[in-house]
Parts: sequence; C-alpha cells; structure tokens
Amino acid sequence: MTKLIEIKALEKSFGKTIALKNVSFEVNSGEIVGFIGPNGAGKSTTIRILLGLIRADAGTATIFGKDVWKESVDIHKRVAYVPGDVNLWPNLTGGQVIDLFLSMHGIKVDKQRKENLMKRFEFDPTKKCRAYSKGNRQKVALIAAFSADADLYIFDEPTSGLDPLQERVFQDCTREVLAKGASVLLSSHILSEVEQLCDKVAIIRQGEIVESGSLSDLRHLTRTQITFQTQEEIKGIEEQPYVHDLIREKEAIVFQLDADHLNEFLTFIQPYTVLKFESAPPKLEDLFMRHYETVKGGD
Amino acid sequence: MKSQAQTGHIFRFTLKKEWLKLLLWLTGCAFYVIMGVVAFVEVYGDPLERQSMAVAMQNPAMEALFGRAIGIDNYTIGAMYSHTMTILGFVLFAVMSILLVVRNTRSEEEDGILEMIQALPTGRLAHTTSAILLLLLTNGLLAIISTVLLIVLGDGSMGTEGAILTGIVYGMSGIVFGSVTLVTAQLSSNARGAMMMAFGVLGASYMLRIVGDSGIELLSWLSPLGLLYGSEPFVNNYWFPVWISIGLSLLLITIALWLKHQRDMGAGLLPDRAGKRHATALLKTPMGFVLKLVKTPLVVWAIAMLLLGVSYGSVIGDVEGLLEGNEVIEQIIAADPDLSMVDQFMAMILGVLAMAATIPSIQVLLRLRGEEKKNRLEKIIAGSHSRLVIFGSFIVVSVVVVVLFQLLQSFAFGGSAVFMDYDVLLREIIVAAMAYIPAILVMIGVASVLIGWLPKLTSLIWLYVGFAFVVLYFGGLFDMPDFINGLSPFYHVPEMPIEEWSWTVTTVLSLLSLVLMAVGYAGFRRRDID
Repeated sequence: MTKLIEIKALEKSFGKTIALKNVSFEVNSGEIVGFIGPNGAGKSTTIRILLGLIRADAGTATIFGKDVWKESVDIHKRVAYVPGDVNLWPNLTGGQVIDLFLSMHGIKVDKQRKENLMKRFEFDPTKKCRAYSKGNRQKVALIAAFSADADLYIFDEPTSGLDPLQERVFQDCTREVLAKGASVLLSSHILSEVEQLCDKVAIIRQGEIVESGSLSDLRHLTRTQITFQTQEEIKGIEEQPYVHDLIREKEAIVFQLDADHLNEFLTFIQPYTVLKFESAPPKLEDLFMRHYETVKGGD
Repeated sequence: MKSQAQTGHIFRFTLKKEWLKLLLWLTGCAFYVIMGVVAFVEVYGDPLERQSMAVAMQNPAMEALFGRAIGIDNYTIGAMYSHTMTILGFVLFAVMSILLVVRNTRSEEEDGILEMIQALPTGRLAHTTSAILLLLLTNGLLAIISTVLLIVLGDGSMGTEGAILTGIVYGMSGIVFGSVTLVTAQLSSNARGAMMMAFGVLGASYMLRIVGDSGIELLSWLSPLGLLYGSEPFVNNYWFPVWISIGLSLLLITIALWLKHQRDMGAGLLPDRAGKRHATALLKTPMGFVLKLVKTPLVVWAIAMLLLGVSYGSVIGDVEGLLEGNEVIEQIIAADPDLSMVDQFMAMILGVLAMAATIPSIQVLLRLRGEEKKNRLEKIIAGSHSRLVIFGSFIVVSVVVVVLFQLLQSFAFGGSAVFMDYDVLLREIIVAAMAYIPAILVMIGVASVLIGWLPKLTSLIWLYVGFAFVVLYFGGLFDMPDFINGLSPFYHVPEMPIEEWSWTVTTVLSLLSLVLMAVGYAGFRRRDID
C-alpha cells in the first residue's frame, strides 16, 4: 500500500490562536478515511493546508509524495475537492460553473457521466447561481468533483446542505469512485455517514489527533452498552471500575462497559443467574462523544 | 512558472463575467470625455471669452477645484480641457479601477470562490494575475477610446501628441490606483476594508493635490493625481509623469504579487480585532442596528469630509490677498459690485461639499437593499419588526447623516476660512449649507422609490447622483440648457451667499422628498423580499 496523504507533526497558528498543535495521520491508496472532530478542532485548517491554500508553520504534509505547498498545481491535477460552504458567481448558471471547474481541472470530461450525475442529484443546471439554495450550490461542487477522474477526493462536510436522499446519492457516488481505486478523505459531522463509508477514522480535538486507526481497532478502546437482568439482586456492581453511567430500570440494568474488561464483568455476574443479556456494539458516536465530553469537561 | 498555471484560462473566464460591467463603465468614461470636448468646442469658440475664463480660473479656490491653472497665456480649448477635465476624470477612472480590482480579487476570496479555484490545478498567482490583466486591458481601452475621441472631436488646439498623452494619463490614473488596490487587497482580510483603504489613498492624493496646487507645489508632485496632472497635455505635453507612474505601478504590482504568494488564503496582513461578546441595548433597537451596520464607513466619511472642508476652507483664505494684486479681477468685480468672485467660489464649493455629503447618506439607505440581497433582511422582517420600522429606520438614519454631515462640513469649511482671516461669517456659511439639505433629501427620496418599486435597478441612483454632480460642477462651464439643469434638485438651491435664502425652494423640495419617501415605502410594503 502506498501512502497517498502523509501528514507529520503539522502545526499552524493564526495570530494568538493555535489551530493545529500536532497533527499526524495518513491515507493509503484505495482507502477512505473519516476525519472527525468538534467545530473549531482544526479539520478545515488541516484540509486547507493539504490543498496548499494556507501554509503550515511546522511539520510536513505530502500528497502523492509531493509537497502540498510547493507542488500544489501538480497535485491538484489528480485531486477533486468539495468544501462545506460553496459560494459561486451569482450571475452564472450551475451548468456553466461545472463546465468551468472541469475545464480547469484538465481531466478529460466524460459528458455522459456528468449528465448522469446531474440526474442522480436531481440538479437543474440552467438556473443562475444566485437562485440556488445551499444544497444546490453544494451539488455544483459535488457534480464537478465526481465528474472528474481524480485519484484523491477531499470532502469537507460535503453533505451539510443535502437532504437524506441526496446524502444517499453522495454515499453511492463515493463507493463508486472507491471501487475504481480512488482514495477519499472525508471530513464530516454526520457520524452515521462516516461509519457506513469509512475504513479508518482520525479524530481531531483542539488541534491534535486524539485517535486514529481502523474503526474495528478503535472499537476496543471504547465502551459497549450492556443491558442485563439477573434473578437475584446484584450488589456492588456500581463499584466496579469498568462500569460507567449505570441506570437501574424496572427490571434491567443498563450501563457502559469498558470494552477490554468484558471477561471480568462476565465472571462478576455469573453467580447471580443471568436472565437477559444484550450487548450493543460501540458506535462511532460513542467514540466521538467521549472526546466531545472531555472538551466540555475542559471548559 | 507554476504559480501562473492557467492564468489565461481564468482571464478568459473573468472577461466572460465582467464584459458587461466594463462596457458600461467605459461608456460612462467615454461620455465624460465627449461631454468635455463638445461643450468646450461649442461654448468657448471665442478666444476672448476663453481668456477671461483663464483669468477667473487663476486663483487658489478654483485651482483647488480643478487643478493648477495651466496654459493661461494661451488658453486654447485644448488647454482649457486639460485644465478643467483632468483631475475629476482621474478620480472617475481611479474609482472604476478600485472597484474592478476589489471585485476580482478580495471579494472573490472572501466569498470562498477563490478557494474552489485554487483547489483546482491553477497557480497561486493565477487569479490575481488575471485581475491585473483585466485592469491593464480596461485602462488600455480607456486610453485608446479617449485618444480617438479627442482626435476626432477636438479642434486645432488639440494635437495628436496631446490626445495620445491624455489617453495614456487617463489609463495610468486607473492603473496606479488599481495597483494600490491590489496591495490593499493583500493587506486587509475583507473586501470592504481593501476598498476603504484604496479610497483612503485616493482621498489623500486628492487632498494632497489641493494643498499642493494652492501653494506648496511639492505636495502636488507627491500625489499620483498631481503627478499625472503635471503632464499638461495640449499645453506642454510632458511625458515624465507617465514613466514615473509606470514605475510606481510596476513596483506596487510586484509587491502585491509577492504578498499574495506568501500569505495564506483568506488572511490579511493587518490583524482583525476581536469583536464584542454581547449585543448592546442600542444594537437591539432597529435604529441602533442600522447605525451599527453603517458606523465604520460613516466615521471614515466624516473624517474625509472634515479634511475636505478644511482643505477648501484654508485655500479660500488666500483669495482675497490675491485679488488685491490682480487688476483684471478687480475690474471684473468693480464692473458688477453685487458679484463677489470669492462669494461665487464659496457658493460653488458649498455645492460640491453638499454633493459629497449626498454619497454617504444614500449609501446608508442602499444598505437596506444590500442586506436584502444577502438574505439577511428576511431574518429581521421575520422577527417582530414591521416593514415600516425597518424602512423608517434606514430613512431616519440617512436623514440624520445628511444634517450632521452638512453641519460638520460647513463648520470645517467656514471655520478654517475664518481662521485664515477671510472676511466671512461662519453663521452665513452654515446657513448656506443648510439650504442644500432639502435637495439632498430629494435624492434620498428618489433612492427610496427605487428600493420600493425597482429594487433590481437601485444602483441607477448613482447615475442620478453623477448627473447632479455634472450639472453642479460643469453646469456653468458647459452652458447647459435650463430644463436639463433643472432635473437636478441641487440646481434649484439658492447659491448663498450670492443669492438669498428661499423658503419656497426649501418647502417645495422638502415636500417633494417626503412624497418620494412615502411612495418608496408604499412599494416596499407590498413587494416581495428577495
């Protein structure tokens, strides 16, 4: 596997505000990596450095092995980008802008594919951009991106203005480019989207990558929700160090279990005759919430 | 050059989206040249008439308005055109170029459009370079059009060299201030700031020139306006100002490109200040909200007007001394004892100042339309405020601005005239300035009718302001027919202190303005919000 994106110890401040403290992660070819974190954590800053729009203070960032600042033009020939907030020239039509973007991309345009994408996104290219809603402006950027045969797609909250049906279209299109061997960096707030699409995630918080790895690896780091019921009343479970947020419902007990202490927990409850036992696999949301909560705690 | 990758592509596209605007601007500029040449050729065919005009022009007050008197010994039509049309033309062309550069650089960056372009395989300087090419192309066309018009329409005194030189200095005034704007677009992180800084440089150049042309000549040469004026086409045809301004532009463009290459997307070199955490009680009222929206530009305008008033006022003080030594003028004044030259200049300058005060007050009102276009007005209207309160707040603030600015200017102008020991009553000057208020209110009324009934054509008000300015500035010079002059509300205002205060005019104009505002509101109340 070759490394498409390689970021090492990236730092960036804007005046007194430190945006990135220490950001390192990589995206291998053929992979789709979810880039998640709370607002203001540094997602867009990292992406803008990757695109050569702003310059890092320290650290290195390369795409296709090339320096993102110095060789941005060469890199961009093989990269398609969709920002979260798309603004366009008000007096041009959506169709004109798509064609303009594609012509500047220098990649051979597949007309059929473009038309096809417009149909799938239910997009009317004949209106002036000033008449488009946020979602429709985003479609302009998405259609331009997916019409281009890029090796790397960078998405910064690409579906923030789309309805759920269009979100599905986006996911399908993303799977299609992945199937063709392209790689994707997807920054998103919609965790279900990341969970469904991504092999790996990188979680950023306050300018630092706090978790990164494959989703299945990360699940070990998190907690599983356990719902269980015993015949005899169970005592002392609250005191166990691996038990969190315990709630006693009518008959059942619900709590969060540290995933790596499953065996200890099973041994602990065995004597009480277990009547019911349910375990829900950790969601990305739980993983994410743990980091959100620490942010709140830090305030 | 990788940083220039696809410049041509972006430039072609820029042309596609800009051609109509540029066509309109260039038509306006061409009209300015045509108006000047035709009027002078038609009206001032008689050399004696020109010579008496030359004498009238030769005093600090007139020089402050039009520029240092040139070619006075042989005041041909060419010399007259060069003397009176050049400075104002420079300002017009500079404004065109400043708006052009901001629109094609920082505005698109602020809107996030540049981010999308630069994420494509385009060079880091391609977008800015395309704006530079557009600036050069536009001003190149301006130079060619002006030259051709001058050669075709001019009389024998307007030779080919002078015509070419005039065209080139016109173009250079656009290029110099466009280049200044290229730099300010790198310094400020937002379009409004970049524009205000560029207009600030233009305003400073203008005032430097006023002071320079009416005494300390060195200052004029330090101002790009004064420098280019110094080429004196049709009189001396000096070419060195052209070379200096080309050098200056190249320097500024190089600095701008270097800054653009170094800096981050979206960043400016000047720091942004942190804002307030909470809205104050004032901000939460509709009136306070409007005031807050327009506060910064108004403060800048207030400073500019104060300086303009003082510049003109301090110059007018010299007139008397000069008049005493000038037999010809003494004869003219003696011939008509009711007519004081100085009073005439004062009346004219008060008119110019009133026009200047019109611009910010209309800007305040147009902000209503600006908010609407950015889809912010709907949030306010969807709130608890009625449309009358919203419309009324903008009108009231704009009217208050007129009154305050007229007071401020006339005080600055009259105050500095009194300070320079000119025999004038401050009270008289302030009253004279007050006489203009109803006329300005009519302009505001016309703007509110446009906002209410023809929102898409709101910018047409600037054409009307431009027209009123031409009538006021050149009306006497061009000898325009009364019915055309009469279309401008300013034309009806008594030119105090030469003329008497007129209650009729004040009442009629005030009533007219009220009717226009009411009509504007009637339209605004019933139309759809964009």
